[in-house]
Amino acid sequence: MRLHPFTPFLLVLATALLAVLLPAPLGPVALLVVVMLVAVATGAWRAAGAAILLSVPLWIFLLLLHGAMRGGEGWQAAVAQGARLTAIIAASLLAYRAFRPARFLDAAASRGWSSGSALLILATLQAAPRLRARAARILEAQRSRGLRVRGRPLGRIGALAPVALPLILQTLGEVDARAMALETRAVGGGRRTALENVRLRWPDHVLLAAAALAVVAAFCWRALW
Amino acid sequence: MKGLETASLGFQYGEGGPAALDGVSVALASGAVSWLTGAPGAGTSTLLLAACGLAPQYTGGVVSGSCRLLDEDPQTAEGRARLSGRVAYVSADPASQLSGIAETVVREVAFAPANLGWPRERIDLAAGAALDRMEVSHLSSRLPASLSGGEQQRVVIASMLVLSPEVWLLDEPGSALDARGRATLAAILADEARRGALVVVASEDADWLAGFADRLIVMAGGRIVRDGVPADLLADPALAVTGAGSTAVADFARALAERDPAFESGRLPVTVADALERWQ
Repeated sequence: MRLHPFTPFLLVLATALLAVLLPAPLGPVALLVVVMLVAVATGAWRAAGAAILLSVPLWIFLLLLHGAMRGGEGWQAAVAQGARLTAIIAASLLAYRAFRPARFLDAAASRGWSSGSALLILATLQAAPRLRARAARILEAQRSRGLRVRGRPLGRIGALAPVALPLILQTLGEVDARAMALETRAVGGGRRTALENVRLRWPDHVLLAAAALAVVAAFCWRALW
Repeated sequence: MKGLETASLGFQYGEGGPAALDGVSVALASGAVSWLTGAPGAGTSTLLLAACGLAPQYTGGVVSGSCRLLDEDPQTAEGRARLSGRVAYVSADPASQLSGIAETVVREVAFAPANLGWPRERIDLAAGAALDRMEVSHLSSRLPASLSGGEQQRVVIASMLVLSPEVWLLDEPGSALDARGRATLAAILADEARRGALVVVASEDADWLAGFADRLIVMAGGRIVRDGVPADLLADPALAVTGAGSTAVADFARALAERDPAFESGRLPVTVADALERWQ
């Protein structure tokens, strides 16, 4: 099922709103379960795993700060806050996984956005995988020069600088190279032609309507009770 | 003038650093293939970048003197905007010239025309023709980043060819190409020049360029040191002083002539066709 490129990001927004509006601690926990079920159902195991890994330090921090120090209600607050953040992280990773730059550009063109502003958003969204690929290349290059990246923790920390420094410098250089490449490809502020007719279809309508309903219901519940 | 005209063009990449370009004054007319060569650091690549305004915009540095491309000033934002889509720039590193956005080769080639707002039908026709001319139609549905360096270079050139540009600025465009790819590109550039485009190629590949370039400009230390017909300059033994290389045929003929002065008295042949005609 190919969703409209904007739909996953609107669903992330709805997840964030629901995470704040739903009654704690059961609401955020239920939301986290739903997001994880969606991840499993769509085969996004890695996204779900990455979300859990990223959330572990947050959970430790929250449990120590709220639970261990305040006890009782503190444990509930820690669980609610942890579930909120994990749900938002997992939803964001799921949206990112479904992200297709070319379709996003076509959708933006169909909406009348200038190619410049659409590419600005794209550059931001594409920064992470580019950095990861570049870091892997630098790591391999440094290893071939004898850098030890495995073994004792202190040794690993020592190996960070020879990888991080070239990564930062090369990334700065790539920004210019990328900008130059795009300028030679007539990227500017003009109106771009959409190469594909990207439209909201019934799955988009169903998902967005359900998300909107859930947000409105949660908001009403919050306002009335 | 419809072409490229520079007057005392200077360029420095860093404050107080050596001059990458040092008072370059040259006029290159449309409808011909001009070939820039020189030893590494001679300034040929910088001249191409400054000619289309990419330097100092994206490279940093300081420019002096004047430069006019198609009667526009590429050093101003307005000039570059008016030149957008009319100038093709191809670097030696094809991976850095891919958009990073298109998921297929045909979309990569269609990227620039789409940015210019061309109608879909025109884009489809032009992209198909460009892919055919660069002999990469069979790669249409492939992911550009997954191609080999040579295939990526063909795709990048097709991405410029699709625009039917008025100016071609190419920096070592044959470095990633195989012999067949270089032959295809040579034929295309010669055709583009015949169509009336200004074609400027910076390259040290004398064997490739000698076959189709109309004019040779030799640079050293950011200055133009020789300017003339390729066959004459390449046959001149004094060319070696500039650090620029000649063709294998010219080097061979020169070695033979040094051994036996009676062997060749006139201008040395510089290409295989030239040698065949002279020695048959």
